[in-house]
Amino acid sequence: MNDISLKKILKNPYLVIGGIIMGLILLMIIVGFFWMPYEPTKMSASEKLQGISLKHIMGTDNMGRDVFSRVMYGSRVTLMIAVGTIIIGAGVGTIIGAITGYYGGVIDEVVMRIIDALFAFPSILLALVIVSVFGVGWGQLVISLGIAFVPSFARIVRGEVLRCKNMDYIENARLQGVSDIRMIFVHILPNIKGVMASSILIGFNNAVLAEAGLSYLGVGSQPPYASLGRMLSDAQQYMLTRPSYVICPGIVIVMMVLGFAFLGEGIKRWK
Amino acid sequence: MKYALKKLLTTFVTLVVVSLCVFLAFNILPGDPAVRMLGLEASPELIEQTREKMGLNDPVLVRYFRWFTAFLHGDFGTSYSYSVPVAGMIISKIPITLTLGLLAFALTILISIPLGIVTAKYENGILDRAITVINQVIMAIPPFFSGILITLVFGMIFKFFTPGGFISYTDDIGGFVKYLIFPSIAIALPKIAMTVRMLRGNLIDEAGKDYARTAYSRGNNTNGVLYRHVLKNAMIPVITFLGMALADMVAGSIVVEQVFSIPGISRILLTSISNRDYPVVEAIIMGIAIIVIGVNFLVDIIYMMIDPRIRIDE
Repeated sequence: MNDISLKKILKNPYLVIGGIIMGLILLMIIVGFFWMPYEPTKMSASEKLQGISLKHIMGTDNMGRDVFSRVMYGSRVTLMIAVGTIIIGAGVGTIIGAITGYYGGVIDEVVMRIIDALFAFPSILLALVIVSVFGVGWGQLVISLGIAFVPSFARIVRGEVLRCKNMDYIENARLQGVSDIRMIFVHILPNIKGVMASSILIGFNNAVLAEAGLSYLGVGSQPPYASLGRMLSDAQQYMLTRPSYVICPGIVIVMMVLGFAFLGEGIKRWK
Repeated sequence: MKYALKKLLTTFVTLVVVSLCVFLAFNILPGDPAVRMLGLEASPELIEQTREKMGLNDPVLVRYFRWFTAFLHGDFGTSYSYSVPVAGMIISKIPITLTLGLLAFALTILISIPLGIVTAKYENGILDRAITVINQVIMAIPPFFSGILITLVFGMIFKFFTPGGFISYTDDIGGFVKYLIFPSIAIALPKIAMTVRMLRGNLIDEAGKDYARTAYSRGNNTNGVLYRHVLKNAMIPVITFLGMALADMVAGSIVVEQVFSIPGISRILLTSISNRDYPVVEAIIMGIAIIVIGVNFLVDIIYMMIDPRIRIDE
């Protein structure tokens, strides 16, 4: 994970392709903060369901709204939900994994039993349970997905902490009287950042997929400000009359997932 | 046998933990089920009476125990919104969702295992490289999007099936399965890609180990080593993955049922979530949890059968 040089990055095709894809998507999202071709919620009765043209590069939807502007906005919503999910999932997961792995004993047994049970549970279902407890909306969706992602991070971090905690340098630090909290956060966690980086990127990949799925079901972001998954469920009934309306947001989801997957794979293969 | 018993015990513990989590999740919620059932205008006395009748005044653990034992006996409670037994609402939908999940699972096994073997056997060949790239892309397509594309291409353009023309299994079992084939492809695609990738990697790893070389030197040809020695070991992690994938596919069918307008568990689950009809949500979630936990138990048993090391260790 050390000596990061441009030359080494360029030799890793996964990082290059992932970087290009994510760069383009981030560019689209950042530009969207300052400028969009049209207001994403502006309707126009005379321009319903138009095809791809210079005026509307991804066409328009059933209310005459510009699909490209909506995709720009929707990618922002999707990415922000994914970021929130990972902050909660990786944050809480790391703390749980570090504590259970470091201390072991009864807490470890009990907590890991629960985590194992939750881990076996499909995350989309877990998120649906939590959404039904908290209610529908994008804030609730972030919390639900975040909680649903805790088990996988907790397991990864626990495994890594177990691997590290009997190493000589930890023993050495212990002899010097380092406190437990300092030991976990200053000595052990920095040592597993490589594993963390790739699991966070794979987590992003899964978060985008899960968000898209849940928004498609209508439990995520609410109209008129739609995330990409929501756009797909709105667009589905018009797919024969105007395929571009369905395909464009779908492809952006695929690109986003692919970008994260490539970056994650690239970091995993980093030597 | 000791191993199987031990696994049976942990399975039961997991079931209890999961059911407790589900029960608590729906019982720490603000809002009184009695009020929800009777409406806000109900008199306090009536609410108190109903609470007593529904057993809501007992301690949480007593309520949990009652709910869990009733659940094991097939009594899933009463729907808040429709005031009918939950079991009756969902029982006719279970075969639909289960068939969809199992079809997707069958497709995954039938396609991914041969493909995984072929790509590993001809490592770095053209087929292998092509499949690796295709796999990467397929894994990035969410099942509902591939479902939409399948509906568009095979349903609307080529007219292989009628989108929205679901046939119930009570009317025509052949038509029912036929309608479910395309949705199950949408569910299976990403799992196929993942399984192929995993099996290929495992086979290549295992083939490099000493025992494989020994098998070669004893006069086995490539196929002999592959099928009689390497494949068995390479399959062990794949079986764990397939177990989790089966659970995932049953859950994934919730989204895909919406795409193909299949009247399975999905529609009831989603309406119950938006109506906050908790007994129904609880029952469906518990049903899926039992499937998941049951599959995990089966995976452990299959392990024991193919890997004698586990039996000896115990």
